[in-house]
Amino acid sequence: MPFQLEVTLKPGLFDAEGAAIRRKALDYFGIELSSVRAIQILTIDADLDAAQLETLRKEVFTNPVTQVSSFRPLAVDFDWTIWVGLRPGVRDNAGSTAAEAIEDILGIRLGKDEGVYTSRRYCICSRSLDERQVQRIAAELLANDIIQRWQVIPAERWRPQEGIGFNIPRVVLDHSPTVATIAVDSDTRLRAISRQRGLALNPADIPTIRAYFRDPQVRAARAAVGLSDPTDVELEYISQARSDHCNHNTFRGRFVYRDLDSGREEVVDNLFKTCIEAPTLVLKAKKPWVMSVLWDNAGVGRFDEDHLYVITGETHNSPSNMEAYGGAITGIVGVYRDPMGTGKGARLVMGAYGFCVGPRDYAGTLSPRLHPRRLLDGVIEGVRDGGNKSGIPTVFGQVTFDAGYLGKSLVFVTAVGIMPAEIEGRPSYLKETRPGQLIVMCGGRVGKDGIHGVTAASEVFSEHTPAGHVQIGDPYTQKKMHDFLLQARDEGLIRFITDNGGGGLSSSVGESARFANGCEVDLERVPLKYAGLDQWEIWVSESQERMTVAVAPEDIERFMELSALHAVESTVIGRYTDSGKLHIRYAGETCAYVDLDLPTAGFPQWEFEAHWRSPESRGLCEPVLSPPQDYARLLKDLLARPNLCAKEWITRQYDHEVQGGSVLKPLVGSSRDVPGDAAVIRPVLRSTRGLAFSQALLPAYAAIDAYHMTTCTVDEALRRLVAVGADPAHVGGVDNFCWPSIRYDAADNPDGRFKAAQLVRSCRALKDMCRAYEIPLLSGKDSMYVDGHPQGPYGERHKVSALATLQFSAISVVADVTRCVSMEAKFAGDRIYVLGSTRNELGASEYYAHLGYLGCRVPQVRPGDCLPLYHALAAAMKQRLVASVHGIYSGGLGVHLALVAMGADLGLDIDLSKVPCHDLERDDQLLFSESAGRFVVTVAPENAGAFEKFFQGLSWGHVGQVTDTGRLHMAGLAGKRLVDEPLEALRRAWKKPFGDLI
Amino acid sequence: MSEVRALVLTGFGLNCDLETAHAFELAGARAIRMHINALIAAPQGLDACQILVFGGGFSWGDDHGAGVLQAVRLKTHMGARIRDFVAAGNLVIGICNGFQTLVNFGLLPGIDGDYQARRVALTYNDCGNFRDAWVHLRVNPDSPCVFTRGLEQLELPVRHGEGKFFASDETLARLASGRQIVLQYARADGRRAGGRFPENPNGSVRDIAGICDPTGRVFGLMPHPEAYHHFTNHPDWPRRCQRSLRTQEKTPTGEVLGVRLFENAVAYLRARS
Repeated sequence: MPFQLEVTLKPGLFDAEGAAIRRKALDYFGIELSSVRAIQILTIDADLDAAQLETLRKEVFTNPVTQVSSFRPLAVDFDWTIWVGLRPGVRDNAGSTAAEAIEDILGIRLGKDEGVYTSRRYCICSRSLDERQVQRIAAELLANDIIQRWQVIPAERWRPQEGIGFNIPRVVLDHSPTVATIAVDSDTRLRAISRQRGLALNPADIPTIRAYFRDPQVRAARAAVGLSDPTDVELEYISQARSDHCNHNTFRGRFVYRDLDSGREEVVDNLFKTCIEAPTLVLKAKKPWVMSVLWDNAGVGRFDEDHLYVITGETHNSPSNMEAYGGAITGIVGVYRDPMGTGKGARLVMGAYGFCVGPRDYAGTLSPRLHPRRLLDGVIEGVRDGGNKSGIPTVFGQVTFDAGYLGKSLVFVTAVGIMPAEIEGRPSYLKETRPGQLIVMCGGRVGKDGIHGVTAASEVFSEHTPAGHVQIGDPYTQKKMHDFLLQARDEGLIRFITDNGGGGLSSSVGESARFANGCEVDLERVPLKYAGLDQWEIWVSESQERMTVAVAPEDIERFMELSALHAVESTVIGRYTDSGKLHIRYAGETCAYVDLDLPTAGFPQWEFEAHWRSPESRGLCEPVLSPPQDYARLLKDLLARPNLCAKEWITRQYDHEVQGGSVLKPLVGSSRDVPGDAAVIRPVLRSTRGLAFSQALLPAYAAIDAYHMTTCTVDEALRRLVAVGADPAHVGGVDNFCWPSIRYDAADNPDGRFKAAQLVRSCRALKDMCRAYEIPLLSGKDSMYVDGHPQGPYGERHKVSALATLQFSAISVVADVTRCVSMEAKFAGDRIYVLGSTRNELGASEYYAHLGYLGCRVPQVRPGDCLPLYHALAAAMKQRLVASVHGIYSGGLGVHLALVAMGADLGLDIDLSKVPCHDLERDDQLLFSESAGRFVVTVAPENAGAFEKFFQGLSWGHVGQVTDTGRLHMAGLAGKRLVDEPLEALRRAWKKPFGDLI
Repeated sequence: MSEVRALVLTGFGLNCDLETAHAFELAGARAIRMHINALIAAPQGLDACQILVFGGGFSWGDDHGAGVLQAVRLKTHMGARIRDFVAAGNLVIGICNGFQTLVNFGLLPGIDGDYQARRVALTYNDCGNFRDAWVHLRVNPDSPCVFTRGLEQLELPVRHGEGKFFASDETLARLASGRQIVLQYARADGRRAGGRFPENPNGSVRDIAGICDPTGRVFGLMPHPEAYHHFTNHPDWPRRCQRSLRTQEKTPTGEVLGVRLFENAVAYLRARS
């Protein structure tokens, strides 16, 4: 019999959650609520007696100092009450820890049909509310119909005795697992089946698949294990393994690239091989610190004699657009499994985020599934809980607003780990499986999660069908697994490890078995969340928080003992063989038997047409604009632009100091509110060696040319590292491409060929920059379908494609963190220098965008000018000659001088005529051009001579000095005063958009 | 005593164990990281230690009140053993999630020697969100707390969503009269924060950031002393470094106040023996 416990804060205590809901209802919808109180509901569906229930109520679930509770509905006043609970099958983290506590304190085990579920009831007081408004609060603030259900009840319909009643989201699948055999007698038939079952098989792959299953040798071998035509398990496996997500068919495709201006045509065969793999392999040969790239879950570089670092980046876009919190927490917790599954396993030491969303105050006519404001709230909170609860500092992050992300917003997550250089005398980055080793699945259980991704989202929900396609990451379960696996690693118990992400077991077992050359899996051993999954579902489910580990038979006992100690579930599900086959059984019956190399063998390459036209021939040109008169107001308005303004409210929600190695924090300066150029951490606490990390995102430039978008992005990421004191000779990169669909279709994607050309140009730029800057690509991922179809005002749907977007992450080793510097000026009297030349490059700048223009002259990177400058600066910093360094990024010199001043709470006196420049004669160009390769540096007067010596022959200017006036003063090219503004005024403008958010 | 041993709990979502152990080692102790389950399975492990450390993290995901489930588990399986450990004159420190655990376990505030009653609470921040920021702290010079001896002011980071200290007026009066209020959030000049955000980051009553039991041997605090074990942890270090280079022509190594709390504990135990 179920019991329902309601818990709430004592009357009179401030309800912070309720207050946040009130504030959002007012800010987002203009609805005024006089009070909101939240009640937590624990539904215990188990056979317990009164004494047991009272123990739970008093000892576990009620704080006697702050809370009241009852197994009957609490009498909290309201005009309306809204109940919100999870749909069946949605991960209920609080429910599962409650079950753990109940079992522990009562010394019982809950039965398999028993369960504990959490939900919430909000009590809202507001006389004037109507039901439509309450429904809006429920649907657009408190709940998301994909994962949650709700009820709205007015006071007059409330029954104080019964309360909300029981809503038990138990999953009941009345289904016996069955394997289906699928006839492959014609391509048409297989195509139809692929469509029906949502297999998403590429039409070009279908003949290859059929040919395999019709091969007489294959058929004979299959007959021996009782199989004939392919099973659904096999086709699902092939579908997963051949997907763009797993196989990167786009990047490995063949592009026919035509420059429409010149008519020249060329073929680019395999962007991955030519632009990513080739330059990286050359650099790996040249740079001994590059340990492992291009094959494992993440790239590996050397940190010091005894340690290696591990880095990778991911996106989790589609799920985050359906359910922002769930998608984002699943994304960050998921990317943290990549370093755990790299080499023999790394300990996570930092994370970072990049969010690209529509304008937060969007008031246009399109209706995306989630308003950008709500979506941003959700992804911020998802990454917050995922990172904080994992005990991993989130040390860097960026947010970019652009209307192109109304179709699909982007959530980038990056993870860095560290591992001993050797485990039991062998290099830690090497691993392999061998025949006879056991296949062990660790961590969470398997449900219908993530099967066929988001296509399931349009299915109709019934009362007890699991809404598993949108997942909620569970950092608690994963943290336990992380701690367990590190101990197992250090005891030498792990022979191979990889994570279960996209494709689930099919991918992790399939890939790990290639080393041993075969495997046998018994699917009935896989622990399930609920009964009734088909075999193919167990095989491809993407249920989170799972790792696949190869353990030698002689080690399995100790491995399981450690697993139990850490309260982690581990199960032997099969063993590796050398049969060359992937052999899957269920209760002894074979349900898949295919050659292990099937997904890689003999499939045709994808082909794309790419058409490029230069910006000029596309009609782009510079705006006709006379110089502004009021620079102070202009500067303040630029500082208040969403892409430039303060976003402290996000940064402070993230624990960026856990693990104790924080050196340069995400917010620096004397008021600790200005973003630093890069983060620096000490991952090994006994050492003063550090890791510097930065990221850059400049999608706006792609509107002019994705080539220069890419070069500028790579340059910015490197420059950010140089600014804090990293060694420019040791920099590794991670590329994360997020592109709109590039396949041309006259009706659905008429500009597909242009988008394909942008991708080709971007990849070439990446190659050019990595070569020039000597940055090996340690890791990278692509997400290729960044388009959405939000509804317009008349019921029509609009295709909205995002800007071609590349997030570039850069990491470097810092030999001595005490030589790092922060971006803010330090002392009045210090000299101010600008390094690097400013050009007339205002295309796609924030300045132009502010005035409603795109322009044409996008910034270009000149590595030959930049690199010597970076090395000179690094050398000067090594000798402790500089007091502060800050790169000049989006917004240009004016904006970044303001940041240097605000960070210091000191004035600056600047003479713009001293700023090194090229082909420039206007103050606005000088102040707001976004030319690459530039820094603002401050230097103590006594170090000026020594400092300047490093820059002979390079582009630099002594442009002014730091003052104690508390004002930013700038004289223009003609010597006239251009800006003379107190810092408080600049700070007020800069904090205006989001300063009130906490 | 040849060696002071600190037992640092791990597992179940705790996450500050490495740096906490490191800070204790810097302070001269030997730190032993031990999984909660390992300690429950062999509770005699506690007897070899003089300091029990409840560190930061999200034990059991903090889903039912921060620190609650950790307290329930330890109380259920070894409550008496831990109370005996305290009675034997040993030290206990709870940091952040550990402080939340101590108040739910009842080791704090320990008024009238009652180490079981839950009389104070750490609840959701008034600001409505998790917050990571450095705060100024005032140390009560009259407190019996052995960890804060000789300290007047401190700067440390807070990193929590549930750090608002709350208790009835009666309990607050007892805490004050027993000089159990050890740390209070303050302004940069050392005056009390007076409830003002962000100096008081969570709305704690009377700006309380840390309390001890009447003996001063059980101490809980929301800020993280272990996160200030190196001078580069402090947010102002780049500026201090510049100043020091210009005046003394060397980088500062200076005193790192976070570690002082642990050094005081080690010194107390050495003196006791």
